[in-house]
Amino acid sequence: MSRNLSCSQIVAEAIGIEMERDERIVVLGEDVGAIGGVFGATRDLQRRFGDKRVRDMPISEMAFTGMGVGLAMAGYRPIVEVMFADFIGACLEQVYNAMAKIPFMSGGTMRMPMVLKTAGGCIGSAAQHSQCLWGLFAHLPGMKVVTPGSPYDYKGLMASALEGEDPVVYIEHQSQMSKKAATFRHGAEVPAERYTVPIGKAAVARQGRDLTLVTLSACVEQSLEAAETLFSEHIDVEVVDLRTVVPMDIETVAGSVARTQRLLVVDEDYLSFGVSGEVVARVVELLGTTAVKQVGRHGNPDVPVPAAKTLEDAVLPRAGSIANAVRRMAAAS
Amino acid sequence: MSNRPLIEHFQAMVRMRLFDEICMEGFRSREIHGELHTGIGQEAIAAGLAAALASVDALVSTHRNHMHALAKGVDPRALMAEIFEKETGLCRGRGGHMHPFDRKTNFSATGIVGSSLPVALGYAYAFWIEEQPNVGVAVTGDGGTNTGAFHECMNIAGAWKLPFVVVVENNAYAISVPIASVLATPTIAERAAAYGAWGRKVDGRDVEAVADAFAEAMGHARSGKGPAILEATCQRFQGHYEGDHDTYRTREEKKRMRAEDDPIALARGKLLASGEATEPELDAIVGESRQRYGAMLAAVRADPSPPAKEFRRFLFVA
Repeated sequence: MSRNLSCSQIVAEAIGIEMERDERIVVLGEDVGAIGGVFGATRDLQRRFGDKRVRDMPISEMAFTGMGVGLAMAGYRPIVEVMFADFIGACLEQVYNAMAKIPFMSGGTMRMPMVLKTAGGCIGSAAQHSQCLWGLFAHLPGMKVVTPGSPYDYKGLMASALEGEDPVVYIEHQSQMSKKAATFRHGAEVPAERYTVPIGKAAVARQGRDLTLVTLSACVEQSLEAAETLFSEHIDVEVVDLRTVVPMDIETVAGSVARTQRLLVVDEDYLSFGVSGEVVARVVELLGTTAVKQVGRHGNPDVPVPAAKTLEDAVLPRAGSIANAVRRMAAAS
Repeated sequence: MSNRPLIEHFQAMVRMRLFDEICMEGFRSREIHGELHTGIGQEAIAAGLAAALASVDALVSTHRNHMHALAKGVDPRALMAEIFEKETGLCRGRGGHMHPFDRKTNFSATGIVGSSLPVALGYAYAFWIEEQPNVGVAVTGDGGTNTGAFHECMNIAGAWKLPFVVVVENNAYAISVPIASVLATPTIAERAAAYGAWGRKVDGRDVEAVADAFAEAMGHARSGKGPAILEATCQRFQGHYEGDHDTYRTREEKKRMRAEDDPIALARGKLLASGEATEPELDAIVGESRQRYGAMLAAVRADPSPPAKEFRRFLFVA
């Protein structure tokens, strides 16, 4: 039976369980304390663990992201919340030059068990509050990048991020934060007890024979919805949820493509120089050019997310546009 | 006051200078194959920090960090090997001269100007929640005080009275830009008032003055009164980096600073004038230090480089 929590409640539950287990976990961020996060993903944590372990920070992202780096080097396990992924411009320096590089630059003598938690994806707030940016983080070496797309993974990936020794960027999808677990097609059951989901392992969210659709985050649900429609049209789509972008479980993807010989990558992030191109390249490297009959990509066509709904719908992958992308491939095959 | 006898400061400064002169040799020979920033001329500031720093205090330094590392007690042999890109180095040759990290002494650095402050503030926050009387110390150049991070960190530290000390090595130039031309106020130290912080400007050529002022700043931070800004003025004798054409300073200016602003010469003069030491005694300190670091260099040169096949190692723990 699903407990039917919202995803933000599930994230807060995961963090709370880990904070009970490990006193070294502290949470820094804007509005994470008294109101429990603008998306509610740190709700009740300040009340339970005090205002030193769960701290409302001033609007000083560069300072508090770097504080996370210092806290990690001092032996803590900080969660630093950057409210919207779009705000990373205010603190990327500490993320990619310090958090991500110090374990390497120190020759393994410094550990960086820090979780940079942020919310990406679009809920209609236009160009500066709608970006995914997981491709950006993934491009920069030294960070694991996790992108849960189901209630089960929101909890399990947070537990893994907080128990590991490496820096992790944990990207929630804004549109899923208030969505109830029972409404999900995939991973709706969330046990009350602690469990982990391994970082670096993709999941086959739906089995199918005709085409491998690789996706992540909220596009998993959109793709599963599309797959249901397509099944009634006799197109049987296998949906692979990457779950984590770094490290990328290309073996699971390639195993599926080896069977279906058709690959479509659906990514809400910008299309070029990102996750979709990376998946295609790695599949071809692994399987060779003759193993794949068709390759397609469907993502944001490299434009800022527009304000008007008509324009937003034109640039972001949704169940309808995903189904159309598959239909185009089927027609061309 | 935790000040040391001037003769000990003198020895520390001599060693710091010789250490950086050895690095310059490694730069000329291309054994150090990238950028190199030396602190020659700025020894009195680093040496002045040593006495008031406990090993549990954290120090986060800059691109010009060798002397701060030595002041914090980082093993000079491991530091030199790191700068010379050796597998035996502090960071097994992965960090190099701008990125030394030493867990044992809570020492680290960043090559990005201004980025030392947030990290040191993280340590300060850790000490604060543990209610430990330790301090997070950030060193920055004058240029770094013009970053947004400087304001953000000072404000946070002031708001919550965190044990945070910022040492500003004001060597008058942000690479080529005279700092006076890009400051809104005559001093950097006076910004302390905006953050409810302790602030002081000190002659950074005078090791005793630096040591006294730094001890006071640390005492302020340790006692829960909040952050401190110590601005220490100095001259950087070399260019911003080795190989800098340094056309922004005149020949006369550079000649004058070496003649008048050398902290080691100033300390020597004081020691001789007070009768605390004789010329031969001071020369012996220099000779002993030269021998010590010469032998160290020979040993470092014989160390292995990191094996090429290990280029991915240490990216992730698991």
